[in-house]
Amino acid sequence: MSYEMIALLMFSTMMLMLLTGKRVFGAIGFVAVVFALGMWGDGGSEMAFSAAMKLMKWYPLLTLPLFVYMGYMLSESGLADDLYRMFHVWMGPVRGGLAIGTIVLMVAVSAMNGLSVAGMAIGASIALPELLRRGYDKVMVTGVIQAGSSLGILVPPSVVLVLYGMIARQPVGQLWLAGVFPGLLMAGMFIIYIAIRCWLQPSMGPALSKDERAEITWGEKVGLLKAGIVPLFIFFSMTGLFLMGITSLVESSAVGALAATLAALFKRRLTRVVMEETLRKTLSISCMFMWIILAALAFGAVFDGLGAVRAIESFFVDQMGLGPWQILIMMQISFILMGMFLDDTAMLVIVAPLYVPLVGALGFDLVWYGVLYTITCQIAYMTPPFGYNLFLMRAMAPPEVTLKDIYKSITPFVIIMAMALGIVMAFPQIALWLPEWHYAR
Amino acid sequence: APYVKAQNAKITWRLQTYAGPALGEHVIKPAIDAFNKVANGEMEIELYYADQLVPTGELFRAMQRGTIDAVQSDDDSIAAPVDISVFGGYFPFATRYSLDVPVLFEEYGLNEIWDEAYSEVEGVKWLSAGSWDPCHFATVDPINSLEDLKGKRVFTFPTAGKFLSRFGVVPVTLPWEDIEVAVQTGELDGIAWSGITEDYTVGWADVTNYFLTNNISGAWCGSFFANEERWNELPEHLKVLFKLCMDSSHYYRQHWYWGGEAKLRTQGTKMKLTSIPDAEWATVEAEAHKFWDEIAQTSPRCAKVVEIFKQYAAVMEKAGKPYRYS
Amino acid sequence: MPEFIKTYVRWVDCVNRIIGRFAMYLIFAMLAVLLYSAATKLMEFPALWTLETAQFLMVSYFLLGGGYSMQLDSHVRMDLLYGALSPRKQAGLDAITILFLIFYLAFLLYGGVSSTSYAFEYGETSYSAWSPPMSPIKAIMTFGVFMMLLQAIATFFKDVAAARGESLS
Ligand code: NA
Ligand code: NA
Repeated sequence: MSYEMIALLMFSTMMLMLLTGKRVFGAIGFVAVVFALGMWGDGGSEMAFSAAMKLMKWYPLLTLPLFVYMGYMLSESGLADDLYRMFHVWMGPVRGGLAIGTIVLMVAVSAMNGLSVAGMAIGASIALPELLRRGYDKVMVTGVIQAGSSLGILVPPSVVLVLYGMIARQPVGQLWLAGVFPGLLMAGMFIIYIAIRCWLQPSMGPALSKDERAEITWGEKVGLLKAGIVPLFIFFSMTGLFLMGITSLVESSAVGALAATLAALFKRRLTRVVMEETLRKTLSISCMFMWIILAALAFGAVFDGLGAVRAIESFFVDQMGLGPWQILIMMQISFILMGMFLDDTAMLVIVAPLYVPLVGALGFDLVWYGVLYTITCQIAYMTPPFGYNLFLMRAMAPPEVTLKDIYKSITPFVIIMAMALGIVMAFPQIALWLPEWHYAR
Repeated sequence: APYVKAQNAKITWRLQTYAGPALGEHVIKPAIDAFNKVANGEMEIELYYADQLVPTGELFRAMQRGTIDAVQSDDDSIAAPVDISVFGGYFPFATRYSLDVPVLFEEYGLNEIWDEAYSEVEGVKWLSAGSWDPCHFATVDPINSLEDLKGKRVFTFPTAGKFLSRFGVVPVTLPWEDIEVAVQTGELDGIAWSGITEDYTVGWADVTNYFLTNNISGAWCGSFFANEERWNELPEHLKVLFKLCMDSSHYYRQHWYWGGEAKLRTQGTKMKLTSIPDAEWATVEAEAHKFWDEIAQTSPRCAKVVEIFKQYAAVMEKAGKPYRYS
Repeated sequence: MPEFIKTYVRWVDCVNRIIGRFAMYLIFAMLAVLLYSAATKLMEFPALWTLETAQFLMVSYFLLGGGYSMQLDSHVRMDLLYGALSPRKQAGLDAITILFLIFYLAFLLYGGVSSTSYAFEYGETSYSAWSPPMSPIKAIMTFGVFMMLLQAIATFFKDVAAARGESLS
């Protein structure tokens, strides 16, 4: 059997294993070990643990638990409540305004944490019940929260871009800055969609009534703007200090975690319960990701040992005879398809090492490609059957939101994301202008 | 690779190098390609780059266990479990020119010492040491005096790092492939790992601005190792062929580095050259000799190596120009 | 289920909960080390040991926390087909698929033991200028994997019980 065939067999075995519904890290790790033994006999028996040593030396991974901690500190301590109230009051008078305000809230939350979980938690616990109470269409708002929170990985800071940077050997500062405008673009597209939809069908997102609006004084409106101070403080202490070169990447995640803790303390919300919830959930999510990465690293090393990189290159370049852009589009489509079924960290650790060198060799900018990859991950988070935002939504949504509603809700937003992907592909400067400008200074 | 081997009687080896792909293109790939061509289907060496199959820290163990069959690296960065591993890599001021390394190994008895040391480690065969490039600082901010070294977080070899920490340098060890990005993310202020040829080849010249012309070593010594059982299984002619290929890899470095250093210092545009005045640098050299004596204390074998260094340095001094100018 | 299995499951759950709750607080240690690192860098005298120490803490965090995270059911699965099954059938399928997980963990442990014994035998130190001995951290990592394996076996018993309509916890 040729190495290419073994590689293909390995990948398909993993997909089959995943279908049994076993824990993702177990499926990946099992396949890695079996193929390592088959390939290298006794010599392959230590590949699984070697991956643990490799993971340890991947220093940017230190940011992962700290970003997760930060996100939970924000959501558990209710730091976003004031922020939500601010957008609620300011956007309320418009049709669909609360949904639009939720998107803006999600952008703010995204600027304070590197994953989508915090956004999901805040959206599902604060925004969703309120939106439903106000008669917003449940399918639309379910989609709003899932899509909005996925911006967490595109708007800096971003754990996905940190992981991508490790694989593609690209500087995280540039990658983060490259995510800013595509993130804002996508948020803008969400808002336009909501505004048009609610303008056409006012029942989907009724504006606040006159009476209710009258109750809110201008003094309160202006006072609520203060809620924006905390996010700015957190954003500056983490992303700001990092981009200014004062803290290193891993240090910045620690500073960010400290800032979030201090903000909660300052707001007198740092209770025992909050601390307990934050710590336990942080351990839970970090372990989930780390054990998947651990297994995926072993899988990746075995895969690499089989010459899968060469196989992919010869497949796209020689056998298919495709041009650079055709290859790029094929890759994105395959990423989206895999993203439906696969965890994004596993996808990154296993598949990106195969694709990224080819993308670089074809002459594309790897910072730009990082943004394309991240948008693909956002889509993966929402597309069934496997998606983190889907899982979280199912766990957090109130009973009146059914699984069918959740699945239905994502369609328009996935289409918008795919459009955003196309726009950033066609106009790379949307991503690249900001990092080029910042680092040219 | 039991069943892979069974279908085609060809011998397959996996060799992992310390270098990433960009550097490997020069320092190992030509030799391996040549080997595979001449072996004519009897044997094939698959080349893997830094951390690709096995993380650097586990490399030695992996070779012992046969996860990989051969390794190209200095002894120091794979933390080889022998007393003399401190000399593999950049041992401060032990060499001035790249030719010093082969002379020390071939003419002054280091070959025998290395062979003896590794024969005490189970399952690993040391094969050959070659001379690699000099060790200079490449940094984001300029170094014009010893004072400027203080507090700099620098990626370097473990033993060189221990020595440099006496001057306030903070040595940091990261996977080789992560260095470029680590400079950009602020984890590192610079690199003390190579000469200017490598700085340009692997992209470090793009993320640093200054090159310090003073070096802490004229050339480092790096080695090839193999799993002992695999090595013993090879038929004699393939062993000879492998030796020829190691020599060709060593030889490539001689002209590539020697020529590259001069060319890039005079024509390179990415890095500005700075120097620490000779008088001040002399204190570093003096400190190195203290460091040698401390290392000599660690084992009789280390004492022997240090003694050889001293003897060799004395001969070179006495021979005068063109061997030594000072 | 026989009494000794019940006892085993109870003990493993209890021990892993204690270890996991301890690991949970390691995040503060990571935080402290990195903040110290940032502070000393500002004072122009960065410490030698911070990054590596933080890395040691990170692997301890998730490997020691592994067993507890299994108890918290943190590990995601693809539930395209699985999700459609009844809880009892799910448990039945789990009881089979967890054997694959146990197989993986067993080899992870095997590698860990081998690597740790090498570290002890040859007095391995980290290939850095700080060069701390590697045996303590490798022993901790291997212990974490071991406890994860015990937890996976406990989970297997729970799945078998659940598939038979019993409950162990
Ligand atoms: Na973010
Ligand atoms: Na998906």
